[in-house]
Amino acid sequence: MLSRVAKRLYWMARQIERTENTARLMLVQHHMVLDLPASIRPGWDLMIEVLGARVAFDTLGVKPTEKNIIAFLFGSRDNPSSLLSSLAAARENIRTTREVLPTETWERINSLYLSVAQRGTRGLPGSIRHKVLNDIVHRCQQITGMLAGSMNNDAAYQFIRIGRNLERADMSTRIIDTASARLMGDREEILPYRNVLWVSVLKSLSAYQMYRLSVRRNVNPEDVLHFLLDSKIFPRALAHTLNEIDTSLGLLPRNKEALAAIASVKQALDEADPAMLKNATLHTFIDDMQLMLDDIHNAINHTWFDPEAGK
Amino acid sequence: MTRIVRKDAIDWKQYDPGKFYDELISSPGHARAVARGIVSYLQTLTEKHLQNRQQAADLAIKEMGISFTVYSEGENIDRSWPMDIIPRVIPITEWRRLEAGLVQRLTALNMFIDDVYHKQRIIKDKVFPAEIINSSKDFFKQCIDAKPKYGVWAHICGSDLVRDSDGTVYVLEDNLRVPSGVSYMLENRAVTKRVLPQLFRKHSILPVDDYPSQLFDMLTSLSPRHSRSPEVVVMTPGIYNSAYFEHSYLAQRMGAELVMGSDLVVGDDDCVYMKTIKGLERVDVIYRRVNDDFIDPEAFRPDSCLGTPGLMRAWRAGKVGLANAPGAGVADDKVVYTFVPAIIKYYLDEDPIIPNVPSFLCVDEKQRKHVLANLDKMVVKPANESGGYGMLVGPVSTKAERAKFADLIEKNPRNYMAQPALNLSTAPTLCNGRIEPRHLDLRPFILQGKHHYVTAGGLTRVALRKGSLVVNSSQGGGSKDTWVVDTEAK
Repeated sequence: MLSRVAKRLYWMARQIERTENTARLMLVQHHMVLDLPASIRPGWDLMIEVLGARVAFDTLGVKPTEKNIIAFLFGSRDNPSSLLSSLAAARENIRTTREVLPTETWERINSLYLSVAQRGTRGLPGSIRHKVLNDIVHRCQQITGMLAGSMNNDAAYQFIRIGRNLERADMSTRIIDTASARLMGDREEILPYRNVLWVSVLKSLSAYQMYRLSVRRNVNPEDVLHFLLDSKIFPRALAHTLNEIDTSLGLLPRNKEALAAIASVKQALDEADPAMLKNATLHTFIDDMQLMLDDIHNAINHTWFDPEAGK
Repeated sequence: MTRIVRKDAIDWKQYDPGKFYDELISSPGHARAVARGIVSYLQTLTEKHLQNRQQAADLAIKEMGISFTVYSEGENIDRSWPMDIIPRVIPITEWRRLEAGLVQRLTALNMFIDDVYHKQRIIKDKVFPAEIINSSKDFFKQCIDAKPKYGVWAHICGSDLVRDSDGTVYVLEDNLRVPSGVSYMLENRAVTKRVLPQLFRKHSILPVDDYPSQLFDMLTSLSPRHSRSPEVVVMTPGIYNSAYFEHSYLAQRMGAELVMGSDLVVGDDDCVYMKTIKGLERVDVIYRRVNDDFIDPEAFRPDSCLGTPGLMRAWRAGKVGLANAPGAGVADDKVVYTFVPAIIKYYLDEDPIIPNVPSFLCVDEKQRKHVLANLDKMVVKPANESGGYGMLVGPVSTKAERAKFADLIEKNPRNYMAQPALNLSTAPTLCNGRIEPRHLDLRPFILQGKHHYVTAGGLTRVALRKGSLVVNSSQGGGSKDTWVVDTEAK
């Protein structure tokens, strides 16, 4: 299979996953704002932190109001990771790889893109916010499910699976990092709401129900961290995404370098003890994880997408 | 046995093609022998029924994603392919003759191209004027002395055939660069089978489905290596090209990779490689759908980013097969066209089986005077434009347009030729719920590698606007499924 096609499929999967994750994150934020007293309510500002879009937002020079931030996250073309930008990129990638994807993929992404583009920067008034964001999550899941359910599990599909899981790993570590920075401190005003806040962290990764089924204890920071980092059975837990990537890489030719990169992340994760990961150490640990995820991406990029770089 | 004819059925006596030759109806109320099955079937339907079928066809086209891209208002839009559901029919006896004529024509044209890039015997023998080659935009010095396999340069040819009011079929032009439309021919048949399956029982129709495998076989015959499974790729300029649907479709049907120029590299060994996830893999044959001047920035336009640097070098070294060969466009020039009967005579010592439309060369003073005096009866074409652009259709032109063309011709006579406007034949076409005659042409596709192949029929293009002669899809043309009917078979 052509390197260009592999690269586009990989990015397409990442962009669809990113769209879903971002929409879900906004959805959870929207609900949390409704639940909490104003004094400890996390601002929409936090979204910009989580998504690493601080520079892009500040460049715009607009006030960080709820309305402006939502417009920025939703329909802004100035934000490379807005829902619209991610969908536009995914659409372009699907458009140029139509011959290897199920026919309906194009129609689905096209109509999803058009519906988001139509709304554009008009914003998302509270009354329709839940419906619109929820709809985006569902439609992304539909595409992911369609690809999983109807594609040959050949190299093309492996690149999609790798992209999807790498994006999940990235989002899970981002959310853990931000949540811990905000919630791990023993700030008194937070204590009564700690439960609500950690539940919302789980919900951001659609992990709440699965956490309940799997952990069967109250929601407490240590268990949440352990679940999100180490669960081998929850699809958005770091350990699970790494296993998925590992399996897919194992099916590709010339995979030595990429396998080595994944092995070192897995080892670092195995050796970490979540009980010991508090505040500063957790932040450093997540930072290291993110760097290692970058290494995996780089190994994939220069092994399969840009073969000349290896010469 | 009496056939039950509905009272509200289509009344063929109302259908009158007038002075034009109609492909299905010989005179009001009378079907041609070859079309009797279709016409009698349609008689059992009302126009409402027919419109329902048309809607089913339009829906199928949308679902199957059959589209073409038009550039308008600064955006590329994928439009559904327009197809009229009433097929166009050709009797097999007539088709056999046309087929032989098309093969004869392409054989001679390939001999001409090969000669032009080598000894130029035809010029030395004063059959063909040197200045036409010397002033041709499509004669490439980079191709002189190149030796493509079998001496064949134009491997895929799409020739446009038209029928005049007396029934004579002419060749209107030969497309030897990157002719398109064959995927629509295949899809039109697939759609007709879906929405009018009953029609197929009444006729014995030649299949068209084998084109992709014939194309693949022809392409593999161009492989420089003796390999059992040569690597064949389709090269596209990308999704913004109007024929991208077709590039992707043909690649899929042949099981070939669809590549862009940037997917390929030419090594120091002059071989062409594609960048794959397994590393670099050698490519044997490229079916390129990128125009000559864009295929290799080293040899042609340095600003092109659609091509692959070094491709010409690889081709000249015989390390890769290119279809069509660069430089083949020299014979796809509307001025060269006027010499094709002479070219056939010269190389094959045969008379052309299918005649040319009588043509006037503006570069010749006497002929130019005739053209300028009769602009309102002529179709004037620039030497090397395609897609129906830059043409003057005399009978429907305004005075200002004629004045503009007179001026253009005076300034650059080499660039223009003219033909008397033909009375293009018609066929019944569903227009806003009514069956009306519309003008059409036919583009068969001819392959030449080690062997020849001609599609059974081809792509019929129809001008959907009343009275219009412009059939190009980019300018409001539609299409029809085309049937070569075996009238002798039972």
